Amino acid sequence: MASEDEEFTMLFQEFYPSLCRFLECLLGGRANLAQDLAQESFLQLHRTAWGTLPVNEARFWLYRVARNFALNEFRKSNTRYRLFDRVVEVMTPRSRNPEQEYETRERQELVLQMLRKLPEDQRVALLLREQEQLSYREIGQVLNVSESKVKIDIFRARTALRESWTKRARAFHANAGSQGTLEM
Amino acid sequence: MSCDFTEKISLLIDGELSEYEAREVQRHLSGCAGCQAARADFLSFRTEISSYGASLNPAVQADALKRILGQSTDQPRVAPVKPKLGWSWNFAPRAVAFASLILVAALIGFIVYRAAQNNESSVAQKNPAPVPSPTAQIASATPEATPLASPEPSQTPGAPGAKPSEKNPSKPKSVRRYPVLPNDGNNIANLQPNTDVAQPSTSANNAGDIQALTAMHFEKSELLLRAFRNVRSTKPGRPVDVDYERKLAQQLIVRNMMLKREADAAGDIQVASLLESLEPLLLDIANLPQGAGADDVRVINDRVERKNIVALLQVNSTMLARARDDDD
Repeated sequence: MASEDEEFTMLFQEFYPSLCRFLECLLGGRANLAQDLAQESFLQLHRTAWGTLPVNEARFWLYRVARNFALNEFRKSNTRYRLFDRVVEVMTPRSRNPEQEYETRERQELVLQMLRKLPEDQRVALLLREQEQLSYREIGQVLNVSESKVKIDIFRARTALRESWTKRARAFHANAGSQGTLEM
Repeated sequence: MSCDFTEKISLLIDGELSEYEAREVQRHLSGCAGCQAARADFLSFRTEISSYGASLNPAVQADALKRILGQSTDQPRVAPVKPKLGWSWNFAPRAVAFASLILVAALIGFIVYRAAQNNESSVAQKNPAPVPSPTAQIASATPEATPLASPEPSQTPGAPGAKPSEKNPSKPKSVRRYPVLPNDGNNIANLQPNTDVAQPSTSANNAGDIQALTAMHFEKSELLLRAFRNVRSTKPGRPVDVDYERKLAQQLIVRNMMLKREADAAGDIQVASLLESLEPLLLDIANLPQGAGADDVRVINDRVERKNIVALLQVNSTMLARARDDDD
């Protein structure tokens, strides 16, 4: 039992942060909810499948369960969580370098905004590829879809992000141009 | 700036192309500005997404682990379940209830249908056809004297002119389609084919068919039980090879059930009871394990001996065959 727990602790230390990150991106930056769901996923793993599941499959199992938890959250009315997240965000202590932190936050917010516009299946596939470096076959295993669907989803997600980025850049330039004209 | 190769660029940066394809795409890439831009954008997104840092506090992580291990020890582990994959079976209990309801309704319908069929056949037998056979005329003239060979156990065997039950004349006659021996097998000669009931020709044919089938079934069962009695192990302590007997018994069970139902419907208590005592033996043989031991075989054989069923089967099959020949 002790060795089982040790093994579980190792798995937890290795994958909990990445699972939180995955869920946070998936949920559009709701960090606290992401942590809750990651914890819930690990709890589920420990209570039900741990010991019967090969360790190398436990990771896929976790991502699959976490994604289902996230889907349930999408279905629920999420105002409560959003409000709570905002409150926590305001109360969280800031780092000592506010400028750098501001810049990082801006970039992260931009990434989240762009990801949020993607359909859920494309977003999950892209996140699993870019953050977790899973192969197409492994992503298919997690999402229970074919490899060819994964391939298409990832390509579409990238194309959509690119279009979104181009539009944003054009808007930015147009805005800067008009401001410049005014300044002149 | 879209190019047919853009999708392959996506695959290229994910390492999902074969060596040959990758070389080909690389060659194209060196000459296509659009694809070069796409590749740069895709890689840039990769950097942005992978460098996303979750706002995670190590203390929160440690706390979460403590809570998981604590909660899991508090609550007993449940059986492993597969994670939900999209489609959930939330309606399963309702579907099961609905299916059970349909099954019950079908069963009731079947029972009612069988009962109605039996009623029809008994009505047809009570009200014979308008142009009855001479024997039927006699039977209708003297209904109380109808020599129904109802082999009640209380009747003295060997009494050919056993009087019908006068005590209870209103009791419906036990209609028999073919004669059967009582279990003691002593009054074979006394039993004659049932000629007192005039039936439509189709019914008579059916009765004849069933008679033949029953005779055949009795013969086969008898052969099976005889074969089973002679089953021996090749070496002491080794399992006995009863594959053939098992398969044969499996086939005979179905026939046995069907014939028993027919006998019950026809009110033929003797055949029904013989079939009923045969059924558990067939079931036991059919359910013998692959490497059945000599003891298992012996237990069944002892029961066969005790019931004296081989002799009963032999006598009944002979009688049925004889009755059928007489009918013909």
